[in-house]
Amino acid sequence: MACSLVPDMAVIEAQGLTKHFGGGRFPPRRRHETVRALHELTVTVDEGEIFGFLGPNGAGKTTTIRLLLGLLHPTSGHARVLGHDIVGDSLAIRAATGYLPGGIALYDTLTGEQMLDYLGSLYGRPTSLRADVADRLEMSARTLKRPVRDYSRGMRQKIGIIQALQHDPELAILDEPTEGLDPLMQRAFYDLLDERRKAGRTVFFSSHVLSEVERLCDRVAIIRAGEMVALSNVPELLAHRKRHVEMRLVGEPPVLDGVAGVSNVIARPGFLSCELEGDVRPFLAAIHGAAIADLTIEPARLEEAFLEYYADEDAAERAASAQLAEAAR
Amino acid sequence: MNSTVFRHVVRQHRLRLLIVAAALTGWGTLMPLIYSAIGEQLATIIQQFPAFQELAHFGGGDLFSLPGTISLGFIHPIAIALLAVFAIALPLSGVAGERQRGTLEIVLARPVSRQSYFVTLLVATILFIGLAVAATLIGTVIACGAVNVLDQLNLANLPVLWLNGVLLYFAIAAIAFAASVSFDRMGPAAGVVLSIVLVAYFLQIIGSLWPDAEWLQPYSLFHYLQPDLVLGEGLRVFDSVLLLVVGSLAVAYALIVFPRRDLAAPT
Repeated sequence: MACSLVPDMAVIEAQGLTKHFGGGRFPPRRRHETVRALHELTVTVDEGEIFGFLGPNGAGKTTTIRLLLGLLHPTSGHARVLGHDIVGDSLAIRAATGYLPGGIALYDTLTGEQMLDYLGSLYGRPTSLRADVADRLEMSARTLKRPVRDYSRGMRQKIGIIQALQHDPELAILDEPTEGLDPLMQRAFYDLLDERRKAGRTVFFSSHVLSEVERLCDRVAIIRAGEMVALSNVPELLAHRKRHVEMRLVGEPPVLDGVAGVSNVIARPGFLSCELEGDVRPFLAAIHGAAIADLTIEPARLEEAFLEYYADEDAAERAASAQLAEAAR
Repeated sequence: MNSTVFRHVVRQHRLRLLIVAAALTGWGTLMPLIYSAIGEQLATIIQQFPAFQELAHFGGGDLFSLPGTISLGFIHPIAIALLAVFAIALPLSGVAGERQRGTLEIVLARPVSRQSYFVTLLVATILFIGLAVAATLIGTVIACGAVNVLDQLNLANLPVLWLNGVLLYFAIAAIAFAASVSFDRMGPAAGVVLSIVLVAYFLQIIGSLWPDAEWLQPYSLFHYLQPDLVLGEGLRVFDSVLLLVVGSLAVAYALIVFPRRDLAAPT
């Protein structure tokens, strides 16, 4: 899907970024089938925005992040992060970026504080936000003195978040950041991200938790099987999704056939339900004068938008398969 | 070379270094004590049974002379196993192990180049090997003094022996690094490097015990550390250069491959 927004100041610019795994000859390893992990990703992330990268496990989110950080080498295409090329100048990118990997691994023999000291010192810049972030995530000085091996999953994730943000990076790249956090800590984390945005910092985070993307992000890209299937402002994405309408009437339901944006109409005496998409005015005009006793319009959720994309894709795939089968007969 | 990573590696391995160095000092002490206690008697006995003389030169060492005993100490599996803590285990855990655990990516997601990370690990490994070999020789010198056989030891050649020992384990460590950067998991990398070392050890031992197999010894890295000859003659240039070249080639391979590898998410 070719969609990109032109920014005032782009922090991330990817153009046709593609990554295939396998098929290599060097260094020697077992040959296996080439896997298309990411295909022709073109996306731009603006300065000061929270950008959500949404998709199920295996969709290509982590591959994209690793490409942006120079941990993987692109098969084709190119990208710039903070103005630096991801292939030729990844050190400069990493110097200004905070990164939280998915399912972060820590050195179990170190204490939380030693871990943060070590990772912070590799940046060569002050860890000015550590105390604040640790405080917000309820990681006390006493807790930080304990060995990492004694930490729960949630505490490890908190250490991961602190190490990614403690040096006040221009760009934070967070892979599934709320994994393992309880709802209270998730809220504290959302507040942290809001403050990053207010401070003009950029956050790029991947998730498969749709509600948090909907709540936090300015824009969202949806990725599936290595391909971006949507890129939009969150309100725009929601506005174009179908809303479910139910109404109870006194008497016959209004006639909605042919009304723009209305589909799946189920009508019987005293009841009507339908799906409503886009502009609501034609719908409102059509029901004007109807004897409505009760009306419910469920707001579109990003989750539904997301599932619709998938449903469409699945339907398209099923149709293609059916055509192939028909042709074979 | 990254000083922060270096300090971290040293801190992670300092206890291990102390234990291995103490064990090797003890091992180095043991050899002169054994020589002093039974060396001459053994020599007398073996001289009466010429058929067994060849079998008494295990791996190029023996118990009939002090240099021979020191050689035996170096080729003995216990000494090799102790030195392998740094020559094999550290290179394997430093790259493939960290990769497998997932800790490599949090370090390399910072402004640390892969070359710099690799060189730092290599320098730390050579330092640990140097200290471990030195601990062995210090133990030997102390024991020689204690049993009054120091006059049989050419002290001027001890630094050369130290250098030759460091070069042997540098070459092994470099091969371990080459394997380590080539795999995402420790198991296959350990399999490769242990196979190489065990085959090399087997060639050296079989060649020392069986005259018909003596031609196999030059194919073993262990053949290029002969403490008895180094203590007698000084620097054996060919041996040292060969170990240096093998190690350098393996390091060059690792330096080429490691930065070009994809570091996909750990499984």
